[in-house]
Amino acid sequence: MSELKDCPLQFHDFKSVDHLKVCPRYTAVLARSEDDGIGIEELDTLQLELETLLSSASRRLRVLEAETQILTDWQDKKGDRRFLKLGRDHELGAPAKHGKPKKQKLEGKAGHGPGPGPGRPKSKNLQSKIQEYEFTDDPIDVPRIPKNDAPNRFWASVEPYCADITSEEVRTLEELLKPPEDEAEHYKIPPLGKHYSQRWAQEDLLEEQKDGARAAAVADKKKGIMGPLTELDTKDVDALLKKSEAQHEQPEDGCPFGPLTQRLLQALVEENIISPMEDSPIPDVSGKESGADGASTSPRNQNKPFRLAKEEVNRQELRQRVRMADNEVMDAFRKIMAARQKKRTPTKKEKDQAWKTLKERESILKLLDG
Amino acid sequence: MALVSADSRIAELLSELHQLIKQTQEERSRSEHNLINIQKTHERMQTENKISPYFRTKLRSLYTTAKADAEAECNILRRALDKIAEIKSLLEERRIAAKIAGLYNDSEPPRKTMRRGVLMTLLQQSAMTLPLWIGKPGDKPPPLCGAIPASGDYVAKPGDKVAARVKAVDGDEQWILAEVVSYSHATNKYEVDDIDEEGKERHTLSRRRIIPLPQWKANPETDPEALFQKDQLVLALYPQTTCFYRALIHTPPQRPQDDYSVLFEDTSYADGYSPPLNVAQSGTLPSA
Repeated sequence: MSELKDCPLQFHDFKSVDHLKVCPRYTAVLARSEDDGIGIEELDTLQLELETLLSSASRRLRVLEAETQILTDWQDKKGDRRFLKLGRDHELGAPAKHGKPKKQKLEGKAGHGPGPGPGRPKSKNLQSKIQEYEFTDDPIDVPRIPKNDAPNRFWASVEPYCADITSEEVRTLEELLKPPEDEAEHYKIPPLGKHYSQRWAQEDLLEEQKDGARAAAVADKKKGIMGPLTELDTKDVDALLKKSEAQHEQPEDGCPFGPLTQRLLQALVEENIISPMEDSPIPDVSGKESGADGASTSPRNQNKPFRLAKEEVNRQELRQRVRMADNEVMDAFRKIMAARQKKRTPTKKEKDQAWKTLKERESILKLLDG
Repeated sequence: MALVSADSRIAELLSELHQLIKQTQEERSRSEHNLINIQKTHERMQTENKISPYFRTKLRSLYTTAKADAEAECNILRRALDKIAEIKSLLEERRIAAKIAGLYNDSEPPRKTMRRGVLMTLLQQSAMTLPLWIGKPGDKPPPLCGAIPASGDYVAKPGDKVAARVKAVDGDEQWILAEVVSYSHATNKYEVDDIDEEGKERHTLSRRRIIPLPQWKANPETDPEALFQKDQLVLALYPQTTCFYRALIHTPPQRPQDDYSVLFEDTSYADGYSPPLNVAQSGTLPSA
């Protein structure tokens, strides 16, 4: 049972408009029969009266909605009321405090404790006001004791570093260590390509040829009836030609990378950004240089993380066994405790079991440390 | 004739309105019963000084019923008010049709120029019966409700009242109360008639010189934000005239049927403003 002072409702007075007093025309119209009907001149007054009725009805509707909302929220929030109680007691300093917490517990049950007595009617209004105030705060800042979150968050953040190694991770490490073999291929220097001056001369020749061809095509077109569409077509064709030529050129050079990169390199060399490579264009070198510095390439270093990972896996297995042994020891201990409680000496069997598990655990621990 | 059929339609609508009103009262007396129950429950809860779950659920169900009843009542009332608006607009159409017919039939103006007093009474009445905007919970007041200005592309319809800035013979500009005759989309101009003297030359004005009057009153109890606030500059209809002048709001209305109290700019007073005068919501416009 909760007390009246807890109730956040405002107990509005929901009387409807007394239309006899406030809306005389309306009343008169009601009294008339169908035949008499309404006169046009009465429309204005009727309108005003109907508006009054409507506005009071809407207001009633709004208040009802607000009150039902409060009522619903209140019923849903019974668990938190303990804090509100504490808050309220704090404010009011009521004498019979100890009575209230008890009532709280009994609330859920069928029986109900005695009310605080009718001797509190004066403070009731004040209390209900305070109560309402607190209730309006409730949805916003529920006064739960803020859970101390910090340790949880700390362990969550540290988890990736302390977690057990899974076999998947070992495999990833293995794969990472494999590449050293592949790289050997990359160190092969591709054969020398054509010198750039020669290649450019060739390209220029081809350009001129194309231009000539295009000019001829244009001349042809002018004779013909073709429109601008075909210009586009020839342009497409030219683009295709260029592409195919570019592709065609590559095998000549024996270099897997396009002419553009060659030119780029040459420009860079000229600007002294990269030291000249004696006309052997290996565009990938710049990339290689930076890559080489990152990872240590000595064989010893490559294998170290792998070894450590393997060791750690073994240790983990041992630790697992230790844990199991721990559990067994605990079981044995519990059995002995139970026996003691029942006031009989533990049997020999139990004692032996306990010793055995203890010894197992010790041996595993030794392995681990070793 | 169009006029005759309008009459019979009006008669129809009037009887429908009568029906609606009767229904409203039925609804209200029904819900009365529930409201009395709620009252009783409140009293019991307050005297017993306890709130058992029994009471809570009971109250909740009573409230829900009351809500449904209130909604039904609102719906019927709205329908009745809509019906009244329909009848009024039919009457208005009839009046305009009669005016046009009259103009063609007679060489003289159809009505002798109204006496001042009659005109003022008419104005006052139409100000009073400007429909009150009562929104459902969650509705916002629309444009042309109280202080809410019209939307940018709003075009006033023939018969709507507006404030029009016209140039008098001596070159002075004045805002007058006028009625829209027509609007031309091609030239973006309104044709308006001065409310005061019909049959006088009608004015053709561009949109910028026209401010439509509000079509709804704002309800101070539910939508105070749709009212002008103290010290806001407005164009207000000077009492007993048909002209608008600049004024400052003194106090906004407290109840739906109340007027604004405003101070008109007036150089004949020491502080430059008149004493507070009352102006209806329908005669208070945002200052251009």
